[in-house]
Amino acid sequence: MQASVGDRIVIGGRRVGQPDRTCEVLEVHGTDGGPPYVVRWGDSGHTTVFFPGSDAVVQDSEPATK
Amino acid sequence: MRVNDAVRRSAVGIGPERTIGDAAEIMEQAGVGALAVIDKGHIIGLVTDRDLVRRGLACRLSADARVDAVMTTDVVTVQADTDLHDVFAIFRTHGFRRLPVTRGEKFVGMITIDDLVIDLAADLADLARPITGEVLFAHRDIPAAVTTA
Repeated sequence: MQASVGDRIVIGGRRVGQPDRTCEVLEVHGTDGGPPYVVRWGDSGHTTVFFPGSDAVVQDSEPATK
Repeated sequence: MRVNDAVRRSAVGIGPERTIGDAAEIMEQAGVGALAVIDKGHIIGLVTDRDLVRRGLACRLSADARVDAVMTTDVVTVQADTDLHDVFAIFRTHGFRRLPVTRGEKFVGMITIDDLVIDLAADLADLARPITGEVLFAHRDIPAAVTTA
């Protein structure tokens, strides 16, 4: 996985009805955009170190160009 | 199959100075039941939802108590390129359900018994498929046609 500062990472819900969870990448500590990342979770403002698994997808911070 | 191929879930780490109240909120928000306690990139402990209850709430600790007061130290870890069979053995030997995965000295993720059960279920389904086909659509030899002169 590669991410940049400002990207959002979405972690899919694991059970039926469980919402996806999102966090924003604040720092990239790996090489070439690789993990680990320091992220901020949702609205709580908590920051943690995040090690993405296959349940996580990066959403580019820049809007797609047409 | 290597451990790294079986890790499905994202792992979350926090610093030892964070509070157990923070840890509970982060678990809720991130949807995980355990947090790696990371100091300078290295895992120094593991705090689970169970730790928060047994060593925190049950001992009347304040929500402002530090995570390193309730975390489990001397954590057993496994290298990312370890064969999965060795992980089965570790889970069998020890009484825990989660195993931090490291590459060298660096924490890179967490493997859980749930991950292994998912793999086992998939393997069982693959094995059962031909058997199911045989049971449901049994192959019967067609007797050779009898010809009379």
